[in-house]
Amino acid sequence: MVKKERIARVLVVLFVFIAVLIFVVGWLKNQNLNADSIQIHARMPENGGWSVTSINAETNQPIHLKLTSDDVVHGFAIGKTNHPAVDIFPGEFVETTLLFDKPGTYTFYCTRWCGVNHWRMRGTIDVRGEGPLVTNPPPAYLQLGIDIDTEHEAEVIPATDVSPQTGSLFADDLPSYVLDQETYFSNSPAKIWMRLRAEPTLSELSDQEVWDVVAWIWQKNTSPSMIETGQTLYAENCAACHGETGKGDGIMVRDLPKHDSDEHSTNDPHSESGMGGLIRPHDFTDANHVLGASPALFSGKIIRGGMGTGMPYWGPIFTEEQINALVSYIYTFAW
Amino acid sequence: MKSDSVLKNLVKKNWWISLIVLLALLIIFIPLPQSQNDAADRHFQVEASMFQFIPGRIQVNQGDRITLELISTDVVHGLSIDGYDFELIADPGQSQTATFIANKTGVFRFRCSIACGNMHPFMIGKLQVGPNWVLVRGIILGVLAVFAAFLSFRQSSHIQKSTVS
Repeated sequence: MVKKERIARVLVVLFVFIAVLIFVVGWLKNQNLNADSIQIHARMPENGGWSVTSINAETNQPIHLKLTSDDVVHGFAIGKTNHPAVDIFPGEFVETTLLFDKPGTYTFYCTRWCGVNHWRMRGTIDVRGEGPLVTNPPPAYLQLGIDIDTEHEAEVIPATDVSPQTGSLFADDLPSYVLDQETYFSNSPAKIWMRLRAEPTLSELSDQEVWDVVAWIWQKNTSPSMIETGQTLYAENCAACHGETGKGDGIMVRDLPKHDSDEHSTNDPHSESGMGGLIRPHDFTDANHVLGASPALFSGKIIRGGMGTGMPYWGPIFTEEQINALVSYIYTFAW
Repeated sequence: MKSDSVLKNLVKKNWWISLIVLLALLIIFIPLPQSQNDAADRHFQVEASMFQFIPGRIQVNQGDRITLELISTDVVHGLSIDGYDFELIADPGQSQTATFIANKTGVFRFRCSIACGNMHPFMIGKLQVGPNWVLVRGIILGVLAVFAAFLSFRQSSHIQKSTVS
């Protein structure tokens, strides 16, 4: 009888112990799961954007992220890195691991359009650690002192379509500076045309042939793969405002007034009409506008944004190669 | 002999019921000649925004080759058609185009296939292939029912009158 009672007591104690143990083990396990992973909810910018906008990290320490969306499709990527972009679908968790080997401040951003304020969905990752900080040299438009806010109408434009093939025929007669990448980068096509037109050695060429030469120079400074990269970047990031055909009539800017260079409405803060004084972007198929701009000017515009048009700044996101690819793609609209 | 005559009388009096039943069956099941239109190539631009398709209703003929271009104006939207193996997903700035052949007649719903917010389940549209015969048959059937009700009312009041007198 006593023995039975003792067994019963032991059993009761054992069961109570097991019951408590289950919760303790579960809690410990959960702790381990969430200890080194950060959970981020993505929401439309109007509803709060990223739930976490700044992350502190150290070099060579992996960061585990658990991402989910509370409303629409979002994406996650880190600017100026090779980290592949991940899509975030509402109601699903997606995990990704980041690893930085250089200290610095990185920008993470949303990669899928989620409304007019999509580009505002950005956050920073502060990576500390040994080694030289990732710093970016001042962009070329600052070094060259180009004012990216002024109008840049082309002084001259070609009368008909240009042909780089024809231009390549005169390659041997050209002065040496035209093949310098620096010349390409800091001059607009119209400027180069005027310089070449003034060359006495090229006086036999017709105006159109000089344009063919300029087109050939522009083709020399790009490649099919660059154009392709530019096209992909343009479709994903720019087309919603600048339009799929580059006409500046993207679906996000439909309700905005058109750019009017005669009135200079951008300089007058009192002539605001509609959406906070914002205007539509320029028409890239308009040679007057595009051929008057140098690659340095265009890349400056992409890096800094603004210009009174509500254009976001892409400096922290695109690498130099990506911006060059985009710029060379922009010229393809106008030729 | 007497019961037989009663039955005959009943049938005679209520012949219209069987006529109406016959008509109703005819309306429901009569096969209609399929309109033999030449298949045409048709292009539609559908704009998707939160939470609607514009146009929300597409009407085509059977056999048409339909090219749909989906333009998204705010967030990522999709378009899938019930009953057809067809889906499009478009980001803003990246409109998508695809073609299918409308070989099934009837009315089909198309809906947003990518979750796009709280009202996403109600983002639907209608694709009508060929004339909507179900609706036409339904209307004729309804008219017939009204006619039958009217007739039965007259008949019953007639019977009542005859029994009273």
